[in-house]
Amino acid sequence: MQAFERELLTLLPRLRRFARALARDAADADDLLQVALERALKARAQWAPGTRLDAWMMRILRNCWIDEVRSRARRARTFAPAEEGESVGVDTQHEVEAKAEMHAVDRAMASLSPEQREVIALVLVEGLAYKEAAELLDIPIGTLTSRLTRGRQALAQMLEAA
Amino acid sequence: MMAIDDDMLMAFVDGELDEVSRARVERAVAEDSALQARLEQQQRLRDRLATHYGPTLEEAVPERFRAMLETNVVPFPAAAPRPARPLWQALTALAATLLLGLMVGRTLLAPAAGPFAVENGTMVASGALAEALETRLASAQPRDAATRIGVTFARNDGRPCRTFDSQAAAGIACRTGDRWQVMMTAAGAGPQGGDYRQAGSENLLVQQAAQEMMAGEAYDDAAERRARDSGWRSTAHRR
Repeated sequence: MQAFERELLTLLPRLRRFARALARDAADADDLLQVALERALKARAQWAPGTRLDAWMMRILRNCWIDEVRSRARRARTFAPAEEGESVGVDTQHEVEAKAEMHAVDRAMASLSPEQREVIALVLVEGLAYKEAAELLDIPIGTLTSRLTRGRQALAQMLEAA
Repeated sequence: MMAIDDDMLMAFVDGELDEVSRARVERAVAEDSALQARLEQQQRLRDRLATHYGPTLEEAVPERFRAMLETNVVPFPAAAPRPARPLWQALTALAATLLLGLMVGRTLLAPAAGPFAVENGTMVASGALAEALETRLASAQPRDAATRIGVTFARNDGRPCRTFDSQAAAGIACRTGDRWQVMMTAAGAGPQGGDYRQAGSENLLVQQAAQEMMAGEAYDDAAERRARDSGWRSTAHRR
């Protein structure tokens, strides 16, 4: 194993935690991590030694997640019934059961928009500084903090009510 | 005393405040029980997330991830030594030859503007190709566009580059000054308009060369739009 793989190996627990904070559940999180690792191994030539591998890897993981979120949204649009409004927005029985089993925190996180969720995951779960998180997401600090504020308010409301 | 708003309270909890501001928040909290309740709410939220996600760090990492890393035989240097010159450089030479042909053809035959031109000894995009590279978003191009834009990405030096495909030629162009320098070309998509040209079937050589040139990942729709709206500025200064 070379330095690149060795360092990735030590990052795995943290990456798993980050994936958990993004994905719907633990199984989805590990699937996400697998896709991200595959992408990272293919793109390893693009990592500049001496730069932070954790930030590089978290960015890849986050991009894989966004891809998944988008394709899920596309699938949902594609398969939405022609009679708009008839069953759109109503969960299937399976989804209802799945949601009931979810932990309150998972449920609260799942109700956030992807934009809020990723900033919460980076700052509150992974403990990144605002500047680091903003750079990783390629957004201005002001955008980051306003998403953070709104995400937090939504989370607090849901968790305190529960 | 100045009011402590939610943003400041959150920055306090996140450890983003300087000494002076920290002290100010601490003083204000000590004197104001409502503020203290708000602070505690923020801390509870942080604790709750930490309690929920923290244990993941202690869990054994599934064997499959370890195995992926341990068996990652680096394919390039070991199995197949990379060509001494990257593919795209080799293809630049090819492009020069193609260009010569185009220029001769143009001189002899028609004055109409082709997709390429030479400026100061550099091959640049012109005409409809330049227009497409400059303005078109891959996510919003007409189905029957004669020139299609593929991926947009940044090179190691920060210059934005885009792949293109048309009947005449496919290739990669990178932004140089206010021109699109043609970095490589390959055979184009061939006759269009029929059903047999599948969506997304980009030229393989171009794709491969783009992968080699790319620093980081290809732009997503939003990044592509930002790059265009910023006038295709180089991203080098941001790194």
